[in-house]
Amino acid sequence: MKEQLTTSRRGFLKLTGIAGGGLMLGFNLTGCDTLPENPDFRDLEINAFILINGDGTVTIKAKNPDIGQGVKTSLPMILAEELDIPWKMVTVEQAELDSRLGSQFAGGSTGVKTNYENLRKAGAAVRDVIVRAAADQWGVQPLDCKTEDGFVTHGSKRLHYGHLAEAAAQLELNEDPPLKDPKTFNIIGKSRPDVDLKKIVTGEALYGIDQEIDGMVYATVLKPQVFGSKLANIEDSEAKAVPGVIDIFEISQGDNPGNGLGGVAIVAENQWAAFKAKGLVKAEWNSPKGFISSNERLRRALDRGASSKGTVLKDEGNVGNAFRNSDEVIEAKYHVPFISHSQMEPMNFIADVQKDKVLLIGPTQTPGSAAASASNITGVPREQVQMKFTRIGGGFGRRLLNDYANEAVLISQKVERPVKLVWTREADFLADYYRPAGAYHFKAALTGKNLEAMEVNICTTSRYLYRQSTPAHGTEAFPDQQPAGMIPNFKVTYSPLKSNIPVGALRTPGVNATTYAYQGFMDELAEKVGMDPIEFQLGLIGTEDKDMPYEDHGGPTYNTVRLRNVIELVREKANWGGGKSQGFAAQMIFGSYVACIVDASLVDGKVKVDKVNVAVDCGRVINPIGANAQVQGGITDAISAALYESLELRDGAPIGQNFDRYEKLRITDSPEVDVHFVASEESPQGLGEPSYPILFPALTNAVYQVTGQRIRELPLKKHNLV
Amino acid sequence: MPSYNIKVNGKSLSVEAEANTPLLWILRDELKMKGTKFGCGIGQCGACTVHLNGNAARSCSLPISSISNADIVTIEGLSEDGSHPVQVAWMEENVPQCGYCQAGQMMSASAFLSKVENPSEEDVHQWMSGNICRCGTYPRIKKAIFRAAKKGVTE
Repeated sequence: MKEQLTTSRRGFLKLTGIAGGGLMLGFNLTGCDTLPENPDFRDLEINAFILINGDGTVTIKAKNPDIGQGVKTSLPMILAEELDIPWKMVTVEQAELDSRLGSQFAGGSTGVKTNYENLRKAGAAVRDVIVRAAADQWGVQPLDCKTEDGFVTHGSKRLHYGHLAEAAAQLELNEDPPLKDPKTFNIIGKSRPDVDLKKIVTGEALYGIDQEIDGMVYATVLKPQVFGSKLANIEDSEAKAVPGVIDIFEISQGDNPGNGLGGVAIVAENQWAAFKAKGLVKAEWNSPKGFISSNERLRRALDRGASSKGTVLKDEGNVGNAFRNSDEVIEAKYHVPFISHSQMEPMNFIADVQKDKVLLIGPTQTPGSAAASASNITGVPREQVQMKFTRIGGGFGRRLLNDYANEAVLISQKVERPVKLVWTREADFLADYYRPAGAYHFKAALTGKNLEAMEVNICTTSRYLYRQSTPAHGTEAFPDQQPAGMIPNFKVTYSPLKSNIPVGALRTPGVNATTYAYQGFMDELAEKVGMDPIEFQLGLIGTEDKDMPYEDHGGPTYNTVRLRNVIELVREKANWGGGKSQGFAAQMIFGSYVACIVDASLVDGKVKVDKVNVAVDCGRVINPIGANAQVQGGITDAISAALYESLELRDGAPIGQNFDRYEKLRITDSPEVDVHFVASEESPQGLGEPSYPILFPALTNAVYQVTGQRIRELPLKKHNLV
Repeated sequence: MPSYNIKVNGKSLSVEAEANTPLLWILRDELKMKGTKFGCGIGQCGACTVHLNGNAARSCSLPISSISNADIVTIEGLSEDGSHPVQVAWMEENVPQCGYCQAGQMMSASAFLSKVENPSEEDVHQWMSGNICRCGTYPRIKKAIFRAAKKGVTE
């Protein structure tokens, strides 16, 4: 996954007066994330809006979807900082999809890092034009004016921004406005609670599932038990007899699982009637050829793939020679299961398809793609598709794909009415795009305490097999992943495995699996050479200040000193070596540096996670309280996956189709998580994802200290340890 | 369709519904009270938690016909203005991330704290284990519960 950030300064600001004496700023910033799953997002403009109201209060539009990562708060904070207004004067409003706003997207932990500089400039440009308007009025030099608390001042003269808005709108915007010295920041770097906090605790915050439009009917979709099955026959007379049921019919989006998996739509006058009728539809399905029937078959197929010589992603030195000539060769095989997104807000979407226009309302991480799909399905021009997005009850990558939005469009088109589609939790498990399953086979050559060579053979159920935009290993295997470049002979191969299980991006796609396997194996090697695991890895990282090449997301390089710093910080904070059973792991993840130590113990033969310490260098922290929450949440989420989560199959169908049989972490097993940030003035990085992967190896390495058992396959439940 | 008289947040209301319609869907779709959330439909995640005569109950699994004259309190009725000690503690500890599960979490916590004055960590585990938070806000939920307990919670 490559990150490109190019900023065009030319024409990035446009300023217009608006009715009512306010000032509206639109800024066009070219350059955006280019996450490959959203080809239609590439090279679009990023925009946002500031509205200075006549009374001096300021409305800032939050441009991106908020899935719980806090960008509805952090991005407006950046604008407000350079605008130099008190945060209490700011009202944040969720923007809808707007062609002038360009890339509105939640994914890859890119929200803050790709918007930071541009939003600073946008805020500063407005401050600059307001100052010049005041200077003109007073006949003084703009440089002699100051801003403070939403006022421009010069000596004893003071004017409120609101009073200057109209005059400011007549002036040319400075395309390269002076930026604040970060030392004078008073919003960035200071904790601000989520702008929706009060609404959330009073139940007033509205999510997609809470939206309504006039005249809408309710729908749900029945999904097959075996992924990728096609409908053969349907018996729905009993279902149709449920009071309130309007229609029952098949929906299909073609054969590419990336577009949606098909099913039977049930449309009713109310949601409960649709759910009830769904339970009464008798559908027969034809399972796809060669479907994966059991986890054992899956594991064998993955091991065959990882054993064969796949595509060579990296081959430095000569691993073959090193293996022949070393004292000892160590091998280990790691495995990760398919895991579900299970975001708390079930999949839902509202669509109102009319002849010449479409209205969409719903929770999506990629509103632009949802609108483009609706246009493709209906033939209604893209400009006539209105897309409003909502606060979102969790994303984790599931809502990068808009299959459910497409379904709402198809259903509305068929019944010719506005429709709210809500999936049951069971449908969510039957039609999730699971985190790919994978096998990671390691081989290392040791001579004395020296790690001479390492080879990794990887096989996963790549999500790019049905999306041609990226080679199969994209977001599955990372040739530059640490310890690449730290060992003289190093080789990585990759083989994809075709399967009928739909797969997609889940919180640090790919990295959440490779980090577990790589950092688990490094712990094994440290033990083999009789070294402390932290000293062993610090030895490989070295003491030199180096930028290591990293061609994947978070690159193009990572810095060894920053990595070393987080390791040393967590070592100190967790009191490493103080007699507790602890596991360690560290890595650069999506541009942030994370190091983690887990304290664990054994209670009645079961693993108890006692405490997690995590040190993070994500560059400058925008909102400490939000940043802390993201890191804590990522760690806690990973504990859930590490202890319990796996898609278990019986005859090809998931055994866990709701939270009774697909277990999630509950408060009972949730430990204290202490987060330690490295004070940094480096450019800010994202935080929604980086802490997630690092917990897995830190935890399994701790489990080894407690039980003497190497956990090379997740989850711990499989090993009877929870 | 049969008609039912229910009492929600102190108001007596009459609703028409099929007998087995869960309270959750009456609240959300008939009464347009959207604070109570749908999460799993089988009483496993707790997103739909309300108070039924002061006890935490999963409204997704409560048929309207089984409720009769019970006192129902939803998140909208926990306080007029977000001033319930649990809501205040939730804000002070900055608990929510996506926020979707939090109404259910607070309804469980407030019912529990009205019965257990000085809860231990085990009490928290026992009373709160029916509510799933997918974002991983449990560490702050725990802190918020102890904070609210200090102030005292009555029904």
